[in-house]
Amino acid sequence: MAYAYLFKYIIIGDTGVGKSCLLLQFTDKRFQPVHDLTIGVEFGARMITIDGKQIKLQIWDTAGQEAFRSITRSYYRGAAGALLVYDITRRETFNHLTTWLEDARQHSNSNMVIMLIGNKSDLESRREVKKEEGEAFAREHGLVFMETSAKTAANVEEAFINTAKEIYEKIQEGVFDINNEANGIKIGPQHSTAGAGGAGGAGAGGAPPGGCC
Amino acid sequence: MNFLKSGIKTVLGAPEPGQQPSVAETVERLVERASNSTLLEDRRDACRALKALSRKYRLEVGAQGLDTLRQILELDRADNETINYALDTLNNVVSPSQFEDEEDKPHIPMNIGDQFTEMFIKDPHNIQLILDLLDEYDFRVRLSAVQFLISLLTNRTKDIQEIILDKPMGVSKMMDLLGDTREVIRNETLLLLIKLTKGNANIQKIVAFENAFDRLFEIVSSEGYSDGGIIVEDCLLLMLNLLKNNSSNINFFKEGSYIQKMLPMFNIPEESEEIGWSPQKVSNLHCMLQLVRTLVSPSNSAQIISNCQKIMKNVGLLDAMCNILMASGVPADILTETINSVGEVVRGEGSNQEFIGNVIAPSYPPRPAIIVLLMSMVNEKQPFPLRCAVLYCFQCYLSHNEMSQANLVQTLLPSSSDVALLMLLSQWMSHCPAAVSAFLQVPGGVGYLVNQTSSNEHDDNECLLQGLSAFLLAICINFNDDSVASYTRDSLKQLLLKRVGMELFCAKLGEVSRHELYNKAAKHPQLRVASPKEVLIDYEFCRLFKSLESVLGHSLAERRANGAEADEAELEQYKALIRQQDARLHELVHQLDALAGQARELQSTLNDSLAANSLLKDENTLLKAQVSANSIPIQPKPTQPDPKLVQYEERMLQLNGEVFRLNEEVTRLNGEVDRLNGELKTAKDAEKNSAEELEKLKKDQDDLLYLLANYDSKTNEYKMRLLQLGEPVEDDEPAEEDNPT
Ligand SMILES: Nc1nc2c(ncn2[C@@H]2O[C@H](COP(=O)(O)OP(=O)(O)OP(=O)(O)O)[C@@H](O)[C@H]2O)c(=O)[nH]1
Ligand SMILES: [Mg+2]
Repeated sequence: MAYAYLFKYIIIGDTGVGKSCLLLQFTDKRFQPVHDLTIGVEFGARMITIDGKQIKLQIWDTAGQEAFRSITRSYYRGAAGALLVYDITRRETFNHLTTWLEDARQHSNSNMVIMLIGNKSDLESRREVKKEEGEAFAREHGLVFMETSAKTAANVEEAFINTAKEIYEKIQEGVFDINNEANGIKIGPQHSTAGAGGAGGAGAGGAPPGGCC
Repeated sequence: MNFLKSGIKTVLGAPEPGQQPSVAETVERLVERASNSTLLEDRRDACRALKALSRKYRLEVGAQGLDTLRQILELDRADNETINYALDTLNNVVSPSQFEDEEDKPHIPMNIGDQFTEMFIKDPHNIQLILDLLDEYDFRVRLSAVQFLISLLTNRTKDIQEIILDKPMGVSKMMDLLGDTREVIRNETLLLLIKLTKGNANIQKIVAFENAFDRLFEIVSSEGYSDGGIIVEDCLLLMLNLLKNNSSNINFFKEGSYIQKMLPMFNIPEESEEIGWSPQKVSNLHCMLQLVRTLVSPSNSAQIISNCQKIMKNVGLLDAMCNILMASGVPADILTETINSVGEVVRGEGSNQEFIGNVIAPSYPPRPAIIVLLMSMVNEKQPFPLRCAVLYCFQCYLSHNEMSQANLVQTLLPSSSDVALLMLLSQWMSHCPAAVSAFLQVPGGVGYLVNQTSSNEHDDNECLLQGLSAFLLAICINFNDDSVASYTRDSLKQLLLKRVGMELFCAKLGEVSRHELYNKAAKHPQLRVASPKEVLIDYEFCRLFKSLESVLGHSLAERRANGAEADEAELEQYKALIRQQDARLHELVHQLDALAGQARELQSTLNDSLAANSLLKDENTLLKAQVSANSIPIQPKPTQPDPKLVQYEERMLQLNGEVFRLNEEVTRLNGEVDRLNGELKTAKDAEKNSAEELEKLKKDQDDLLYLLANYDSKTNEYKMRLLQLGEPVEDDEPAEEDNPT
């Protein structure tokens, strides 16, 4: 299917914060209540529309377990965007953000857009990290911030799409060198022209059903 | 060699006059120099010399130089030439293959390279050193570093993979080399990546993430796709590594629209027949087909398979593969693999099945490609793997698809001259209730067979056709699992009885084996016919027919009498009975064995007793003789008791004792004989021979008893005489009281 741009994302953060659930909610509109520990890295993809343009998102969901840390590092360099996720019901996942951020900054290209995500917003009663704390951290480190729930799907679309918008704007501003694929951005095969046959029309807000090829 | 010697001389200085240093000594001094010399030139020369020695004397160089060489890599990074020598030396030392120079040195262990690899990677930092050298743009250094890594990976794949995975950007660095504009480096990097990705899903994913598929397709396209050289094959092999059993990467491949990019690989130019296929082209296409099969492999998840299948049809890949099937001049093994691939691309996917069902072969007259394929399957002239592939493809075509099943039979049925297809169906359906059930579900299938069977035409081929139809119907009945409600065994049988009649049916069944072509074909596995028109029946079919004919006829006849249900219950009864009888039989055999053993035992006891008896007889005779010898002088002296009488008395007492002992012995023997008699009686039924023995024994025993009785009376007689002589004779009584029995 024709797309104008292709963006590569990675999702990072401590184990159990809901990275895989966020991806699943975004690609398949499903929630997985059981923690299915990610081994290494898993791949997912979806098409979205920004500014009337088809944008393909390729997303690598990494494993939060310490044992996989060096594998995760191999994915920073080629990504255009990263979702850095913590769990609002577990403070230690918030405390670890600095380490994650250092790792990301060290191994990624400097233009990588990082979206900070406080997940599990549906568990208000068990909240340990205030929303303001997340906002403050994001402001301090120059990140975009959002609270999400992979369970209720609240803000999940927005998290992925806003990250894409940010990248898209950087492209418009000429910050990204779009001809260098190592940045995690590719220009579509038939740039800007709408694709011919095939399923999946371009809906505004871009949400073709998951599993579409 | 002279050059080498002089080289070493300049490095080491002239040797002491009169003595040649040993290799070990030379290596030791070179290593010493490489490690301790303050002059870069010296170290470089030492490394050059070590490199020269390392092919022939890797044991010495490796054992003494490994650490120093590693150290050079770290400290002399600024000097590419030295680094290059050190890398090449290390590469020689760990090389997985034997060098020509080593062939005359049998003492070098086979796995020497492996051992040095183990030593080298003991410190994982050493691998980092090599990875760092990959950043060096210098051609020689980069190439040597890649080659060294290839050797290490060959020896210790898993260990090195884990070490590299642990180094941030380790894999990424190697991926970067794929973009090197120097082809030698790029090609060598391909080999490195093939080794690196083998069987390690995490590395495979990183390599895919690093745009490997883009790079690889770029190379494949720039090299001319299937007409390209071995580099194309290497690219495809790497892709295969990345995708095999890696669902995440397959997903990525499909999402990244890479399936479309495979298409040009399958474009076979029209004039390919004249040009012919180079071995490389065959290999390239073979890999490409493997790639197709990896994506739609039945071991993948159903969703992935179905997605890939759809894409393959939509982008024209299936069409392109069908074109290869129809093209002329395609080598047999490519054809075979294409058929397999087409099978897996359509397997269980309705629209793809429909698609190949509609492909028309460029034959005259045009026929559906699937029919042409089927004909090639029953054609024994085709290579066996090809026929198997067709069978597989055919199964894939039918799998989960009633539409194509119906289509198939519809395309098959009207052409009544295609007896071969009925033959094929019978081979397909025999012993396979699932296939029978599939057939029964096809609208019009049974009706066609019944019509044919009851037809009355007498043309030669028509007779055969009728016979085969009857055969197929019989198969439908015999291998029916009653899963199709409208055509259960019973209802089919009823249908036959009503429409055809059992006699006519059996007669038609017999038509097949009476047919001239059948008899011809049954004789030779290899087809021996003048024209393709005669290829109606093949050897395999004859064998199948022969093996089933009687079974089918029989089962039909029985079914007619009893009905299937009753049959089965009865069969179960018989089976139970047979099982019972079998158990009883076993029991009896056991009993027989035990009895035979018992009889043998008795026989030997009997023998013992007989021997004892004859011994006693002898003793008796002796005693008799003694008694008679003693009795003669007694008679002339019946007067006063004299001293002699005392003697006699004593002697008499002695004899009495003896007689008593014999009596006892006889009693014991009597008991023994009684016991034996009893035992013999029980054994008599099983062992008639022992009865005869017993008879003998009895007779002997009687004789003995008679003898003993005789003796007894004689003894009494003697007693009487003694009494008459006025001698008091003591009775046996007291002795008997001492020995109560
Ligand atoms: N209530 C609630 N539970 C969530 C949410 N997101 C994730 N979970 C639960 O949190 C657990 C962990 O989720 P995962 O997505 O598997 O965690 P992860 O970050 O991928 O973990 P690793 O793969 O080990 O790195 C699961 O039991 C999820 O059901 C959420 O938004 N709300
Ligand atoms: Mg996970």
